[in-house]
Amino acid sequence: MDPQRPVDQVRRFSHEAMATIFEVHAWHPDARYAAQAAQAAFDLVDRLEHDLSRFRANSDITRVNHLAAGERTRVAPSTLECLVIARHLFHLTGGAFDVSLGTGLLSLACEVEDMTVGMTRTGVRVDLGGIGKGYAVDLMSGVLEEWGLTHVLVHGGFSSVLALSAPPGLDGWPLTFSHPGAPPRVLARLSVKQLALGASGLRKGDHIVDPRTGEPVRGRLAAWAAVPRPASADEGPRAGPRQRPTAITDALATACMLLSVDEIQGLCAQNPGLEAWIVANPDGGAIGNAQMLHFGR
Amino acid sequence: MAAENEHGKPPGGAGGPRKLDRREVLAGLSTVPALGLFGYAWQKQRHYQRARADAAVTPAATGDVQEINVALLGAGAQGQVLVDAMLRIPGLRFRAVCDVWAEYNLRRVVNSLTRFGHEPNGYEDYREMLDKESELDAVVIATPDFWHAQHTVDCLKAGKHVYCEKEMSNTLEGARRMVLAARETGKLLQIGHQRRSNPRYLHCYDKLLGEAKLLGRIVTVNGQWNRAVAPDLGAPSRYAIPEARLRHYGFKDMAQFRNWRWYRGLGGGPIVDLGSHQIDIYTWFLGANPSGVMASGGLLYHDPATHEWYDTVMAVYDYDTPAGPVKAYYQTQTTNGSQGYFENFMGDQGTLLISESEVNYAGQLYRDPNAPAWDRWIQEGYITAPRIQEARALEDGAVADVRESVSPDQHTVPVVLRDPYHQPHLQNFFDAVRGTGTLNCPPEVGYESAVSVLKVNDAIEAKSRLAFTADDFHV
Repeated sequence: MDPQRPVDQVRRFSHEAMATIFEVHAWHPDARYAAQAAQAAFDLVDRLEHDLSRFRANSDITRVNHLAAGERTRVAPSTLECLVIARHLFHLTGGAFDVSLGTGLLSLACEVEDMTVGMTRTGVRVDLGGIGKGYAVDLMSGVLEEWGLTHVLVHGGFSSVLALSAPPGLDGWPLTFSHPGAPPRVLARLSVKQLALGASGLRKGDHIVDPRTGEPVRGRLAAWAAVPRPASADEGPRAGPRQRPTAITDALATACMLLSVDEIQGLCAQNPGLEAWIVANPDGGAIGNAQMLHFGR
Repeated sequence: MAAENEHGKPPGGAGGPRKLDRREVLAGLSTVPALGLFGYAWQKQRHYQRARADAAVTPAATGDVQEINVALLGAGAQGQVLVDAMLRIPGLRFRAVCDVWAEYNLRRVVNSLTRFGHEPNGYEDYREMLDKESELDAVVIATPDFWHAQHTVDCLKAGKHVYCEKEMSNTLEGARRMVLAARETGKLLQIGHQRRSNPRYLHCYDKLLGEAKLLGRIVTVNGQWNRAVAPDLGAPSRYAIPEARLRHYGFKDMAQFRNWRWYRGLGGGPIVDLGSHQIDIYTWFLGANPSGVMASGGLLYHDPATHEWYDTVMAVYDYDTPAGPVKAYYQTQTTNGSQGYFENFMGDQGTLLISESEVNYAGQLYRDPNAPAWDRWIQEGYITAPRIQEARALEDGAVADVRESVSPDQHTVPVVLRDPYHQPHLQNFFDAVRGTGTLNCPPEVGYESAVSVLKVNDAIEAKSRLAFTADDFHV
């Protein structure tokens, strides 16, 4: 290998959090500095997990989940922002993406002024599993940029991906989408930069429940969503969901497992820049025959 | 038997109370609504949460609470943890933040507080802060250990109450000065051993060990904090502190500033950073200071050019408790994080395995099969009903109900902390400032803990057992 090639200076750093593996791929001439920057980003994920996890007895989300009607609790700005984005996506997808899984997301009152979450009825349960990883990836990218690392790709569990600038000498970060069947085969090759990607699917033998009906999803094997990364990142809950593109694609990929082809088409038409891909298996026929469909752009 | 079967009536007569065996009682208990079964624990939990519920709202909504003007001195990672917890406590007004890393830490924490409606002034020099912020009631200190004594003493002498992170100081001389300054000024000084205010730990201390004495005679303790390898802390290069300022505050360069915990004269290494919390719990729960310690440790893995303290430490304390002698083992290593951190107390009747990190260790309790039954404590709500019950005989006269093999009883601590780990301890401090509480970790207690913990590094160096005298723990 030619040691001068910039692509050989892409370093990979891995960290376990949120029940998966987070990775930073970074091009930087100083390996030690890059490792420290990645560690600072991983430390942030650990702090986020502590606030966002419903499995921790003293997380913000556990406290929210224990609120009775009329009660409220103060949360970290990041928790509030994540909930605000989740509500936005609930509306955008007609309820197909619902972090409360049908228990009543609209009973949550997010008060940006005093950073509290209030509850108007008892029994709402929030699980940020469908958006937290993407949100974490967005915030990690902010840390890495602060450290001066711009040729970076960050992902959480391979399903929430954010590409910043490509490594020098490359047009983009090379990625693939593969068919979820066994053995997997590559359906698409991409070269991406300044782009957020989310993926969802039934690869692990698990199932996705449609929060609108309570029924498991059928006829859809995998879905991806992508949006361009906005030019400059504002901070905080007032910044608006666009500034958190990986949180958005994380959630929209899940929604694209549920939405009809027409609905996905409509979503992409109303949101310029949004792209989606699905592997549909409408009649429950042989998985190998499932077709990949592309929307947007 | 035949007659009962014919009439289809349970023993005890028609409509009369049926005698339940232990198995049924315990099985039934586990489904009783919370108030009945976990009466005490539930109410304690409820009381704590109710008191905290108001914390969720803005200070304006809690008008009857005396507002306390606070400053944060030291806005690094730990300072930010404390701020996160304090933002959930009602009646606090952040007036100032001080950090020598003005380019980064200071800016971040000031911005964060501003989002929550505070308008803190930022300072690089704490003396300037004390001069200008005359209205401060309290200062929360989270600076490197070697600054604790001077920062604390100066704040106390300026008339402020102080919450200071552990370790109280990197030297006993410094810790002693802090105790004396608190006494001289009459101001409050809380040391940040936050488990002492954690309702889960308080429940174990007051109820499980104190009242119920569930473990019987405690003979051994073991605990650990295992941490995975991580790169040294760095800093975004654009925010480096100018060298002159670093030297002014006692650091030779940016790398040492970021990793001060590893340097002699600045910190105490992992045994002090991590072990201090847990060895403090050993002493608290055992009700005695240690009488001696032997320890082995070394820098087995990390680069000696950037790590002066031991990355691996194994220590054994002797305690002469009122109940008898105890051996207490503690280890910390920084090369493998498996099994995390916990404290494990073992008596002749039972075991308590607890950790601040409830997600990993929920507070498991194991009863020795020959120990007296814990039914009463289950009914009082001190511990949860066992997940699996013993297969006691269902009929009088039978020796056993023969069935699939059962596991020994396992119970857990029923009290849950819903708030950030440091919030109860900070709340305890601010309650004391308002005159509505007493400190859970006053400087005398923090001093005793520092004596116990700092001695480990001495014992490693000495390669022999070092003894404590009662006088060692007194100021």
